[in-house]
Amino acid sequence: MEQFLNAFALALTPMSIAAIGLGSLVGLIFGSIPGLTFTVALALALPISFSLDAVPAIGLLLGTYIGGMTGGSVSAILLGIPGTPSAAATVLDGHPMTKRGDASIALGTAVIVSVFGGLFSLVIMIVSVDLVSKVAIGFGPAEIFALVLFGFSTICGLCGNSLTKGLIAGVLGLMIMTIGLDAIEGVPRLTFGSVNMLQGVNLLVAMIGLFAVPFIIEAFSEDRTTAGRPKKMANVRPELPPFRLLFRNIGLMIRSSLIGTGIGAIPGTGGAIASFLAYDNAKRFSKNPETFGKGNIEGVIAPETANNAVTGGTLIPLLSLGIPGDPATAIVLAGLMIHGLVPGPALFMNHASEVYGIYIAVIIAYVWMLGLQLLGIRIFVHVLRVPREILAVVVLVLCAIGAYSIRNSAFDIYAMAIIGVAAYVLVAVRVPITPIILGMVLGPTLENEFRTAMMLSEGKLDIFYTSPTVIVFFSLAALVVVFQSLSELKMQRKAKQKVDLSDA
Amino acid sequence: MADKKRNYVLGFLLLILSFVWTWLVIETIPSGFGEGDIGPRAFPLLFGLCLGFLSVLLLLKSFLSKPIDPSKHSLANEYQSVIHRLPAALLLIEISAYGYLLKTIGFVIATPIVVLFVMFINLRIRSVKMLLGMSIGITLICWLIFEKALGIYLANGSWINLG
Repeated sequence: MEQFLNAFALALTPMSIAAIGLGSLVGLIFGSIPGLTFTVALALALPISFSLDAVPAIGLLLGTYIGGMTGGSVSAILLGIPGTPSAAATVLDGHPMTKRGDASIALGTAVIVSVFGGLFSLVIMIVSVDLVSKVAIGFGPAEIFALVLFGFSTICGLCGNSLTKGLIAGVLGLMIMTIGLDAIEGVPRLTFGSVNMLQGVNLLVAMIGLFAVPFIIEAFSEDRTTAGRPKKMANVRPELPPFRLLFRNIGLMIRSSLIGTGIGAIPGTGGAIASFLAYDNAKRFSKNPETFGKGNIEGVIAPETANNAVTGGTLIPLLSLGIPGDPATAIVLAGLMIHGLVPGPALFMNHASEVYGIYIAVIIAYVWMLGLQLLGIRIFVHVLRVPREILAVVVLVLCAIGAYSIRNSAFDIYAMAIIGVAAYVLVAVRVPITPIILGMVLGPTLENEFRTAMMLSEGKLDIFYTSPTVIVFFSLAALVVVFQSLSELKMQRKAKQKVDLSDA
Repeated sequence: MADKKRNYVLGFLLLILSFVWTWLVIETIPSGFGEGDIGPRAFPLLFGLCLGFLSVLLLLKSFLSKPIDPSKHSLANEYQSVIHRLPAALLLIEISAYGYLLKTIGFVIATPIVVLFVMFINLRIRSVKMLLGMSIGITLICWLIFEKALGIYLANGSWINLG
């Protein structure tokens, strides 16, 4: 009880509420602008969080995450362009509603069901995180190594079209994080005698470079005569949906929330998969499946509920096991670590008040979302009219501020520039970026836990096959790799058959 | 450039990287003492070898894959995979110069110069009102929000310091 009261005291300070509101607003803006993802917003918000206490700082990041996830629906409904991949399914029925003149009701419904999905997943998350943490409390170095290896195997799900390229990206991330002082023996590794390199490549600097710099280059490279011009749109205001509409669709909302939370809890999946699955589910169980794609409100309710329910789902493995499910939660993980909140079994023992404070921060973020979308949308849609290249100039300055403020070092700005341009080239040759992040986040733990386990066992490998928990995680990792490899082979065979048929 | 050709170049470059990395690791990082001490060399060495193996795999896959018929190749995919070399190189120089200027003349002077340069060169904006408005506006708003409101340290110059 005392911890709950402490949590309220931490989360309900004016600074905390303002930080969450700022995060929600920034996330909403970044999420709604196609191409400017909320992951970029999170990478830029991370340095700002340094100067804040733990709960307002994580509230700022979670507010940005939640705002971004919800904001994607605005451009999806109004412009027919999803602001984020998670809002892609919303376009299918949301934009036809706008064409029909029902944009206001579509926006209003999207906001309400987003809040429902987010809060529903929060409840499931609170129950699950505690349970999973209690199981994980007895983990030693060998178990943690196996767990991280399992988390790493989810790279397979983040690989995009090529498993090989995804694995290459993961290894590159692991390699980057070995540069600098070795954490166990203090030996400098690949520093070339540079003092700046001793601390290694800063994770936050790398994240800013990986996500923001490619966006800036893309925006600067656009043909400014036609491409990237914002479409014209009518003045809109969100209209609250009638209560009976929500009541009629309560079953659909609960189903979609369950799909979103479940998918979110599996690392390497994300909002896009959840929203399409929920859309498909809604269509399958609808009384009027033929109206889907023509402006059926159920086609807005299902994906918007599901993609917001993902936010709670992704926090389950993040808080209980320290495994980030997507790039956005990887940045939240970095934020937690900076403020001394190391996710995992010990989190609840050492920082229970802060964790409960974070739960309250999520609720506040959804209240902010509701207020911002319902009251401020008229002003906010003007942001969609600002050209991308002008926003890119602002992002460039914010990147430099963010990278510099981490260690007050110009070296970090150079590192950000090099990593960012390298990331741009990698994206262009279809090497996915997310596995690099996963490699960078999980790499140090993977190495340190393995080395500690080997020291404890005096060099005997039996420490890795005598514990049932280790065997379970190894088996799960193997299963993920086998399934992913099989599905890639299947895809290749299908593509080959298509080519053969068209040749014939 | 076609995907297959790109994969060859990528695979080849990564293979060179893995060779150089592995060689540097062996030359500069000491190994462990045994008896459970894995040492600081093992993991970087393992990662270097993994990269080498995956690069060879990528090269082999590219070699064995069928070339895509140009008539069936999606235009949209081609557009997404275009590398804009000049904007990328220009931005690399601009960000590096920005870092150097922040160190020497501080945020308040460096930011309007860089914003002005970027808008003039990269975006080809010629309106004086727009150029001045954006460069001074962005600097002022960032300085007020970060330095004054949030208390985040923005760079002071070692040559000139305007705070």
